[in-house]
Amino acid sequence: MDKDKNFTGGRKYTNGEITVYWKPDACIHATYCFRELIEVFDPGRRPWVDMNGAPTDRIIKVVNMCPTEALTWKWDDDAKNHDISPDQTNHIIFRRLELLENEASPKTERLVTVKIMPDGPIIIKGTFELNYRGTKKEITDSLVSLCRCGASNIQPFCDGQHRKTGFKG
Amino acid sequence: MEENKGAEQKVKVKVEDLGPVRITGNFILKDLQRDTESCPGEVLLCACGKTLTRPFCDGSHEKQS
Repeated sequence: MDKDKNFTGGRKYTNGEITVYWKPDACIHATYCFRELIEVFDPGRRPWVDMNGAPTDRIIKVVNMCPTEALTWKWDDDAKNHDISPDQTNHIIFRRLELLENEASPKTERLVTVKIMPDGPIIIKGTFELNYRGTKKEITDSLVSLCRCGASNIQPFCDGQHRKTGFKG
Repeated sequence: MEENKGAEQKVKVKVEDLGPVRITGNFILKDLQRDTESCPGEVLLCACGKTLTRPFCDGSHEKQS
């Protein structure tokens, strides 16, 4: 099945072996990608993804670390896309769109995780209540990224400013 | 603290105005910078960047210059 048709509002990069999909709207600046593999994912370069910067297995490993759907991937040889193990978390067959369609009940029982990202934001994942500036939001099996450096222009959310200001900690 | 709401204690995240992020309930806190993991039940996380006790709030946001 061609999952490409579900991909809108982003860019694709290929090295002939895999295609990496980039969806800027979904990025919460968790910074995993460039911390792990600046040779491929360099926000200061245009285009910012260089598929020739590292071997395919390393690129797959880092794309799988992306906590959102901002980065996903697939094999260019479609035959290889049929038998994907669940630990390949960001393969396109596991895109949240598919998950939501295939799962009958929301995963409300799952424990909420709060991650302090190195030199970056607070990422809160799961089902919880978010309260800020008099606004109350119910977050259901999703995630938010909160500013920890104080410099974000979209408070209380992270907009990636920590990288520009050189926030440490 | 929270009143009983059945078996589960819902996680609440409150961003204080010009202050820290208060998180209460049953959650896992993973600090990837300091490589620690805990279930504190309640925590006050710094959101202004000025704290000296990262990732926790130490009240530094109140010391406005």
